[in-house]
Formats: sequence, C-alpha cells, structure tokens
Amino acid sequence: MTIDLLRDRGTPISQQRLNWRDMVGKPISKLDDDAFTRVRIILMNGVELDSLRTKQVALRMNRDARVKLSELMRVEQHQATTINWLLGADHSPIETTIGYEQTAIEVTASVAQLEPDPYLAQGYRFALLEDFDHLYRYSALLDRLEGKDANNITQGYTDIVPGRPTLVHHRAPEHELLKPYERDAKLATKLHALTLTGGEYQTHDYYMNIGPIFADPLARQLYAEIASVESQHITHYGSMLNPEESVLEKLLLTEACEVWNYAGCVAQESNPRVKRIWERFLDFELGHFQLALQLFKDTERRDAEEVLGDGKLPKFIQFKSQREFVKQTVEREVALRKDATEFVDEQSEGASSLEYRKAVNAHGSPSTTVSETYSWTPGTELMRAAS
Amino acid sequence: MEPTAVGANRTGATLAPRQVEQMLEAVSELSPLIPINMLPLDMERQAYINEAESVGSIPQPQNKRAQQSAVMSLFLDKLGERIAFERTGTRLYDALITKYLALANVENAAAGQGAEEGSRPYDVATLRQIREQELNHFLLLSKCVQKLGGDPTAQTPCADVTATASIGLMQVVTDPRTTLAQCLNTVLTAELTDNAGWEMLGELATQAGQPEMAEQFTAALETEAEHLITIRNWLQSLLAGAAGSVAV
Repeated sequence: MTIDLLRDRGTPISQQRLNWRDMVGKPISKLDDDAFTRVRIILMNGVELDSLRTKQVALRMNRDARVKLSELMRVEQHQATTINWLLGADHSPIETTIGYEQTAIEVTASVAQLEPDPYLAQGYRFALLEDFDHLYRYSALLDRLEGKDANNITQGYTDIVPGRPTLVHHRAPEHELLKPYERDAKLATKLHALTLTGGEYQTHDYYMNIGPIFADPLARQLYAEIASVESQHITHYGSMLNPEESVLEKLLLTEACEVWNYAGCVAQESNPRVKRIWERFLDFELGHFQLALQLFKDTERRDAEEVLGDGKLPKFIQFKSQREFVKQTVEREVALRKDATEFVDEQSEGASSLEYRKAVNAHGSPSTTVSETYSWTPGTELMRAAS
Repeated sequence: MEPTAVGANRTGATLAPRQVEQMLEAVSELSPLIPINMLPLDMERQAYINEAESVGSIPQPQNKRAQQSAVMSLFLDKLGERIAFERTGTRLYDALITKYLALANVENAAAGQGAEEGSRPYDVATLRQIREQELNHFLLLSKCVQKLGGDPTAQTPCADVTATASIGLMQVVTDPRTTLAQCLNTVLTAELTDNAGWEMLGELATQAGQPEMAEQFTAALETEAEHLITIRNWLQSLLAGAAGSVAV
C-alpha cells in the first residue's frame, strides 16, 4: 500500500477510542517473538511519547490550537500505553534495557544509511558507536548481576562488543550540538532526526526511572552514567532539528513521522497480532495528520508541500541486523570525537570536554568497572569455567 | 490459557549458529578472552557496603514500660517480618485461588462439565483453608506485637527486606500466562521460607522470655509444615501425571 500523506484520510479522530482492555492486551513473548518485534515496540513507544511531548509544548504556544491538540494527545496517550504494555513482565529492567540498546543500534544504523545529508549521516554513525558500547556494558551487568545472557534478548542479530568506550562519551555541553538541517531539507532528513530524538528521550527517561530501583551500587552507577550520555544524545539529535520551524510545522512533521514509522512497522512486522495494532494506529495517525494539516493551513496560510514535499513517504527504516555496517563503522570511526559541531580526530577534541570528563570520572568510570575483562560468551561468562 | 509446549523459542545460541559465529569473531577482535577479573567491581561494591546506613530502624515500643533489650528488639523486628510475610502470603494465596479457578473453568469446559474437582489432587477448598490459616497467623502475630507494646502496623527493617525478597513471587503468580504448576513452584519457595521462619521465631520467643508465644509459634509451624507438604505433593503430582496439560 502506497501512502500519500496529503490525500489519505485515515480514521477520523472521533472514531479513535480505545478502552482499558484494548490498551492492556496480551504482551509479546520474550522467549518466542522475534527480537525485531520488541525493537519496533520500543521504537514506536518512543515515537508516540515524543509526539505527546511536542504537542504539550505546542499547547503552551498556540491559543487557537489548544482544543485540537488536546484531542490528539488523548489518543496518543492511549496509543503509547497500548504499545508499551506489549512488553511482558518477565523482562527484568536490565533485559528491557538490552532491548532499548538493541533498538538504538539497529534503528540508528539503518537511519545512518538512509540519511541523504552526509553531515547528519555522520552524526548518526557517531552516536551509533556510543549506543553500541552501551549494549556491551549493560550486557556485562546483566551477566554479572543476574547471571543472564544478553543474547537471549538480542537473538544473534547484534554484536556484543565494545564500541567507542562509554568513559569518553562525556563531553562538555558546547560540544554536544550539531548543525541543524535547513528548512528545505528532504522529508527523510526531518523524519530521521525526529525519530532518533524521540528514541533517545524515551531511553533517557526509562533509565532515569529504573536506575533507583536497583540495590546494587554498580548498577545504580552504570544507569546514572549512561542516562547522562542519553541526555547528551537527546541534545545531539534534538539539535539536528531546525530551530526556525514554526510550532505547527513541527506538529505536522511529528504526525508525518508517526505515519512513516507505523507504515514501516506494518510492512515488516512478523507477529500478526502486533501487526494489526500497527495497521490500526497507522489509520489513526493518518487521521491525526489530516487534523494537523488543517490546523497548519488555517493558521499559517502556507502550503504543506513547503514542509513535506510531494507527500510521498521516504524509504522505511529497515528492521534487520545491521551487523556489517556497524562493524565497518567501528573500524573506521571509533576514534572520532567532537569539537563544537564538528567531528574530529581524538587529538582535536574540544578541550573543555577533556576537563569535564576528568571531573565526572574522578572516582572511576562505572561502565569500565562493571565490564572489566568482560567478553560476551554464549550462555554467560560462567560457561568459561566449563572449558 | 495455554499448556507450556515445545515451540519457536528464539533465545538459544544454537538456533543461529552463523550469527553466533560472527558474534564470536567480533568478540575475539574487540574484546578477546582474558582471565576474568572482577576485583575492581568487588572493591567498589565493598566501599559502598562499608559506608552504607541501615535500611531503617526498629520502631520504638509504644508502651514505655515494655521490656527493651537487644533480644527483644530483634524479636519485634522478626515478628514484623513474619507479619509482612503472612500478610503477603494471604494475598499470594488469593492470586493462586484465582489462577486455580480459571484453570478449573477451562478444564471443566474441555471435559464437557464432566470433570469433578475431586479428580484433582486438591481442590479450591484446600487453597481457601491455607489462605485462612495464613490470615490467622498474621492476626496472631499482630496480637503478639501488641502484647509486647509494639505497633503491628509498622514496617520493621526485616519486614521491609523480606517484602523486597518476595516481589518476584507475586509477579509470577499474578502473571496471566503462568501455569498452575509454575505458580505452585513459586508458592513452594514461600512455604519453605515460611517454615524456616516460624521455626526460628519460636526459638527467638523462648530467648526473649515468651514461652506462651513460643508454644503458639510451634503450633503455627505445624500448620505451615502441612502447607508445605500439600503444595509440594500437588506440584509433584502435576509434574508426574499432567505433563502437556494446561495446568503444567
């Protein structure tokens, strides 16, 4: 099915009702479902939550749109619930974390290859190597704290090895920013940046919520450290977004982003029950888009084509193992650092980042301590005792 | 409700040999095997342990004339622990009864109403009786704490810690996907702990100069021992004779 953003009407918002049983359905099976079903669930929860966030900001900035925004947010809240509640209670918080990092790696790697702007593509590859490293550090924690193998979650799709070491992710704020895309950027560029910003937001918020539930001080430290990096990543991706876009322009793009991501999920979902949810929500989002489009036209008196181009959706995120691409990126770019908005070699890193890093790592680096001498081994590192 | 069966479990490394081979190639390149050293991790943990404060304090007895000694404080803390355990235990049996009734409905429907509860090793009445006994134990303990001048509504440090340890038990029994056998296995953990707990509480009562309570706790232990036998036998009979059914 080819979607035309400007023509397809979707489900009218008046017919978008979910009851509590709809929202709290059967979870996926941690054991039997494909890892990419969980990846899509985590991704779409992030996209929905960011859409809510954008609308809450828009609500504060636009008197005329308040009622419409409020209507949209009510549905989005229930969509996010339906999606996030698909994760079963047998996922321990660290196992869910492994799922979050796998999502970050596989989705970012796909986006990095789809991105038409070479500078932003570099930005995706840069942060990809950091989330890749987070997976390794959390896998060490999962193994050493719970005696579990992270590959039970990642199912062989994603390598569990160090990337750019987490201890050097800590940069001074001024070196976290990127140059934003211009207003005439391709729709793909806009949707990629929005998707990744939303993803990092939810990861950051998740770590901030679950960090304190751990008793183990090393786990508490690791979540504190990586939550800080995820906060940097929100800035990294968020600064890609054009700051001159109007609020309603951002609303329009948010709705387009949801349509694009749901359509990608519909096209690739292997679990029939979850696929029906994506199909239903795709129709919801087409309805939301029409509402946002009307608001945009009525308020800004501009053509939506200026923001969206011809209304055709860009190529979808590819939900498949990006092992080779990640491997090549590690080989070529693991030593890259940041200086203001530029990517530079290790020696040219912004000096204030070195100073900042020295301060936060003054009493050691939790990510280094927790993964000291750790090598991923099928069945946990305790299997090494048998060899 | 579904029986636990052989299926498309995707978690094992042997399912994707080529992918695991690639993962191990990456490991040998980027984090090659060296002797495991968890000393830095242990040292950091020990530093926290050394600097840690306790989870909290044992509440002061309300009755100023109440006997106050280290033994009595410990006794009150452990009484608080059993109160918490028995109270949560009552809720655990509530959840187990719900699971049992759902299963019974499915089995009865499958058997065309023909299945009698007696055809199962134990019936819902057994579970309800255990639940009542757990509740009575909770009430007995509350009275004991009051008698000693304590407050049975307070959460003592041991009550807090044992509640943390029990979180997983409730997670298993209330998950709609778990089978009766999986739930019984979980309740077995609770009953084993409960038995040891009552035994130690009886000894503590004697130590604290409360022979009457020690006697009551010995009686409670006998009831708990019956719970343990019931749950273990039920689980054993399901594992021995009901493999492949929705109960297992």
